[in-house]
Amino acid sequence: MIRLDTPIGVRAVRGLKAGDQVEIYGRILCGRDAVLPRLAEMVSEGRQGDLPVELAGSVIFHTAVSPAGIGPTTSNKVEIEESIPELARAGVRIHLGKGALGRKAIRALDRYHSVFAVTPPVSALFSHRTLEKRVVAFQKEGMEALFEILVDGLPAIIAVANGTNVFDPKK
Amino acid sequence: MGIQLSDIEQAARNCLIQAGTTFRKDQVQAYRRAIAAERNPNPGWVLSHILQNADIAAEKHLPLCDDTGIPHVIVGLGEDCDLPRGWLAAVERGVAQGLLDMPGRPMAVKGNARERVEQSAGLYEDASKLSLAPVIVQQRSGRNLTLSVLLLGGGPEIRAKTRRIFHRRSMDHVLEEAASWITEEIHSLGCTPIVVAMGVGRSQVEASALMLEAMNTGNLDEQNEFERKVTEIINQTKVGPLGLGGSVTALGTFLKIGPTRASGVRVVSVRPCCCVEPRRATIVIQ
Repeated sequence: MIRLDTPIGVRAVRGLKAGDQVEIYGRILCGRDAVLPRLAEMVSEGRQGDLPVELAGSVIFHTAVSPAGIGPTTSNKVEIEESIPELARAGVRIHLGKGALGRKAIRALDRYHSVFAVTPPVSALFSHRTLEKRVVAFQKEGMEALFEILVDGLPAIIAVANGTNVFDPKK
Repeated sequence: MGIQLSDIEQAARNCLIQAGTTFRKDQVQAYRRAIAAERNPNPGWVLSHILQNADIAAEKHLPLCDDTGIPHVIVGLGEDCDLPRGWLAAVERGVAQGLLDMPGRPMAVKGNARERVEQSAGLYEDASKLSLAPVIVQQRSGRNLTLSVLLLGGGPEIRAKTRRIFHRRSMDHVLEEAASWITEEIHSLGCTPIVVAMGVGRSQVEASALMLEAMNTGNLDEQNEFERKVTEIINQTKVGPLGLGGSVTALGTFLKIGPTRASGVRVVSVRPCCCVEPRRATIVIQ
């Protein structure tokens, strides 16, 4: 088991490969369909400085945040997957969700020293390991707003990293 | 004294919470069998975490999955059951209370038709604003009222399919074609292992209702030859838990075959229920 503390540096990411079991500690961001395209748009327009949080070194968990807890949504939904290249360029180090990604997103991960990790929808376990949560942007979106949460050992498996891909071991 | 509105309301609430927070015995057993059979460490890691999650959910009364699903209710109505006026409204109130108490995910979308489709007016913060799917009422013998609540998550809805199959007078052909709809999608689902729910009927609506009935009554400990065949086809994909490979992509299949029409066509509804589904509970009110 590899321990990863946020913010995560490029060096830590370079040491990861598909199939590694990790646990994430510290503050991570949570967003999905409603906010990730808007976040990517802010990056492409050079406005990420308007956010009250740093994207560089961050983990973005593809999830809603609600009283029911957190849990991965499908990362290959169009609005989520299309946001990955810009967010990777902005320094997001781990994109955490579920499901296989397409080639464009994978190329962007490799180019910008970013990785994709997957985790099962074990929301009761996640709730048990979530210490704090707060909305940081796009509050009107309710559970789909951009949240920051503090986690104590969020379990995940690295799916795509540094030219390795757990969904396609030949590549 | 007959059935009271308060009995119905309480049963609907309790059913919803039980469905959203508890694994059934046959689910636990199926996961234990899968863990024992899995030789690869990462798929085994996923299966163990899903079972650990179920233990925590049961102990701390937490939702199994944060996508607490759209509530679907099946009512089994005894022919001699004496129901009070307003019983259906009591079911709705009970489900709403269950969504507040579990708690459910507040995912009802605000606004007019355009705003609801475009999700442009935001979401309700109140989990109980999530309205019921159309209620299915089934005729039963006796005096009892049977309430079943099922919670249907969003991921499987992206991959589910209801369509005609030209049966060619072959059960195998129908099962293989329907299973192929799932094998085409299973790589992208993420929340594996699945349970395949399948209904065969005469219309799109009937096939979907039979699929829901299969979700409501299927048992992973008691699989017939047709269910085993579908499961084997899915497991041959080797997609495995969370798409990480391995021998267990499907824990089983729940199949319900209804009446058929004189035609070369069968309508089949298939849903790849995710790794915490089918989430269901049933309470009988006497």
